[in-house]
Amino acid sequence: MHKIYVVALLAALTLALNACGKKEEAPQVQAPTAAPAPVPAPSTAGVTVLSITLGNAIGADKQVTQVTDSFGKKDTIYASVNTTGAGTTPLKAKWTYRTNGQETLVNEASQTIAPTGAASNEFHISKPDGWPSGNYQVEIFVADKSAGTKTFTVM
Amino acid sequence: MAQDMPDFSNVQDDSSSTAAKPDFSNVQGGSSSTATKIYEVVSGDSLSKIARREYGNANEWRRIYEANQDIVKDPDKIYPGQKLNIPPL
Repeated sequence: MHKIYVVALLAALTLALNACGKKEEAPQVQAPTAAPAPVPAPSTAGVTVLSITLGNAIGADKQVTQVTDSFGKKDTIYASVNTTGAGTTPLKAKWTYRTNGQETLVNEASQTIAPTGAASNEFHISKPDGWPSGNYQVEIFVADKSAGTKTFTVM
Repeated sequence: MAQDMPDFSNVQDDSSSTAAKPDFSNVQGGSSSTATKIYEVVSGDSLSKIARREYGNANEWRRIYEANQDIVKDPDKIYPGQKLNIPPL
């Protein structure tokens, strides 16, 4: 009878130790749950200018169809600006007359674009009574930072 | 005997440049894009006016209305400061 108690006591002790051992096991590491992706804020840094092309006509795709840097007095002058990247940003064209060592502002125009990828943009200027002969420049700005210039002449 | 000094007091300066400053006040400019544009409504705007300016056709106002139905409930009521999506034509 005493032997049975000892065996039972040993069995109980073994079970208790096993149970304690289980309690001491390292807690299961939960698989990391994916954090919700942050909503991307409108970014101007994502839009960059790829090219600026001048011409006196454009197509429906906003691309210059007749590339030139020399214009006639009655021409409408187009600057096609190809951009890449996504975001909401102001795109500005500053046209200046640069002749006889002087710089005169001709026109400034801005449009806020919200492309989701590659985009074609255009700016144009015209002057009903004709352009003065001389040298001109158009400078393109993205979010008020210069993104490139093109010079042209009016003969 | 002292010699009389010449008198230049009545000399007139008529210098001027023949290069007239060019006048760019009547230059007309514009812009467009294949991307959606954002336009902020100003006082006096209507969807027709915006459509005429952006598309050259006032009848395209519905295109702007449909692109902004989340913020424009009545096409006759837009308010200064509202930022409208102007979809490309």
